[in-house]
Amino acid sequence: MDRESFIHLTKPAIAGSATASPLQVVICAQALFAILDHSLRRSPDQERVIGTLLGVRSEDGTEIEIRNCFAVGHNESQEQVEVDMDYHKQMYNLHLKANPKEVLVGWYATSPELNTFSALIQNFYASNGDGTYPHPAVHLTVSSNPGKDISCRTYISSSVGITPDRAADSCLFVPVPFEIKYAETERNALESLSLGRTSLDRQVNNIVDIQSLEVGIVELLDMINRAGNYVSQVIAGEATPSVAIGQSLLNTLNLAPKIDGMELEKLFNTHLQDVLLVSYLANTIQTQIDLSNKLATTTSIAAQPQKTDHKRQQRERD
Amino acid sequence: MADISPIKSVRVDALVALRIVKHATGVYPTTVYGSLLGMEVDGVLQITNAFPFPTSSEGDDSSSSALTPKNKGVIWYQNEMIKCLREVNIDANNVGWYQSTALGNFINSNFIENQAHYQSQMNERTVALVYDAMRSAQGGLALRAYRLTSQFITAYRENKFTLDALIKHKLTYKDILQELPLTLYNSHLATSLLHQLSIPPQPPSILPVSASSLLNPPTSSQPNFPLNVNFNALDLTIDPILEKSCDLLLESIDAHNTEANNMAYYQRALAREQTKIATWQTKRKAENAVRAAQKLPPLPEDEYTKLFKLPTEPSRLDSLLASRQIKQYAGQVDGFTATSSAKLFALNGGIPRF
Repeated sequence: MDRESFIHLTKPAIAGSATASPLQVVICAQALFAILDHSLRRSPDQERVIGTLLGVRSEDGTEIEIRNCFAVGHNESQEQVEVDMDYHKQMYNLHLKANPKEVLVGWYATSPELNTFSALIQNFYASNGDGTYPHPAVHLTVSSNPGKDISCRTYISSSVGITPDRAADSCLFVPVPFEIKYAETERNALESLSLGRTSLDRQVNNIVDIQSLEVGIVELLDMINRAGNYVSQVIAGEATPSVAIGQSLLNTLNLAPKIDGMELEKLFNTHLQDVLLVSYLANTIQTQIDLSNKLATTTSIAAQPQKTDHKRQQRERD
Repeated sequence: MADISPIKSVRVDALVALRIVKHATGVYPTTVYGSLLGMEVDGVLQITNAFPFPTSSEGDDSSSSALTPKNKGVIWYQNEMIKCLREVNIDANNVGWYQSTALGNFINSNFIENQAHYQSQMNERTVALVYDAMRSAQGGLALRAYRLTSQFITAYRENKFTLDALIKHKLTYKDILQELPLTLYNSHLATSLLHQLSIPPQPPSILPVSASSLLNPPTSSQPNFPLNVNFNALDLTIDPILEKSCDLLLESIDAHNTEANNMAYYQRALAREQTKIATWQTKRKAENAVRAAQKLPPLPEDEYTKLFKLPTEPSRLDSLLASRQIKQYAGQVDGFTATSSAKLFALNGGIPRF
């Protein structure tokens, strides 16, 4: 992810002021995908599209997690910008019904550019009443230009301007750091999805069980090879040795349990037998059910014999 | 019995997959429901968007926290949402619904009712996506697409699940659900994002100072883990899953047993009534013979329909569903043990002997 370097300083909390700036923005991968989807669906004459970000704010307001978003229609011309506020309100209410915990945290735009209109929209989202006040609104820009990296930026705003008139249509965007987070299960889904990233038609057959095991093992072998290569390079004097890496490699190797061969063989066999037994029983049950249903449909007195079969089966399982 | 489904396969957008995963894991282990949007192109159902159904508000006395797709409030919500989404160029066709499950325990009358509702009420081209949160935790993405078969729909419309009806429709427990092949699809932008997320982090220019700094790297230097590092599939703790599967399996065998007992009871009652009728008939015949000898008009012989009432045959639907559910579990256990025994063998070969 393209990152711009900047220094992020938090001003010390002033007693009485509730607008502590968020220190950290966390973006869920799902929200990013939704934004990109929206970007694909914009009409050809639209430079950028905008939408509302929903998420969770930590209790002290210093961390914001962007979990969800929805698109909001808007019109931009040389002179003016129109955002469908009624639509925003309606969608927000609908979203609140499904996810009462996810509240309004800010808005996104699909172009990295910040202009006067951005300031106007930002001030709406940060406003008192419908907006995020007293918390600051987060502005997320996701660039989606073809041929370039997708880059994200997050900003909060400070108001500038001396007169209230000026302050209403201008603001200072302050960049804030962010990170992209995936939950454990989301990671699994992303892994499956990313298998399709190298294929031409951008499709991937859904994998479960044995395929995902294969993928995992291939990755593991790859990592072991990398570590092995590094070690042999150090031995050959080609790479810079590091005590820390050596230590951690040694620690990892020490994790291998010291266990008696016979003992292990026994443990392994009993466990394997359990697994195989369960598998065998599952298959038997399947056959039994098949049989029971066939009998039930062919003869009308089939209910009696199959009943005892199940009893036996059950006793076996227990 | 040609079963021509209008849909050959299902193509799920990355966004939809992630939405379902997020929704299901957010409130795990509660079952969640949601709606799917998309369109059908040449037999391929493209699902491009999804949104969750609202959870029931407080004060609602329904036991389930999520409302099912048939609920009136949900239908209203769904229509409102689709109306809104249409304005931002999202495919505004409802193409089905999704549900989360734990280890495949989704086959019940509720699921059937919902999908039958979708498949008959709206249009024919709808699917149900089932996401298995518990299995996904073992690696991979356990997302599957199901439809009811046309035989089942015909039988369901008649609402008759007697033996005769089953034989007429050639319906067995295997023909209730049809699984459709499912592919995941990434848009160009999504592909680009996935590529970026998968770039392994650059090795730090400065070598680590101590072993502990390797284990707890400062967050700033390594902000994102690459996406492709995922070893959930190598997890060796298989017992809990197997145990849970067996529990569920036993449960559904019990359910099947109850149904079988009901059926047996019905058969016995039927047989008893039939013998009674037979004896009554022979008695009436004998009486009539006597009356004929005495030149009296014979008594009607079909009076038994008024005197005896045959027991009504219980619906076979529950038994069919229980059988299908057992098949689901058994298949699942089978697949799971295949992977775990492979893992066990790998482990056995890999541990050094002393």
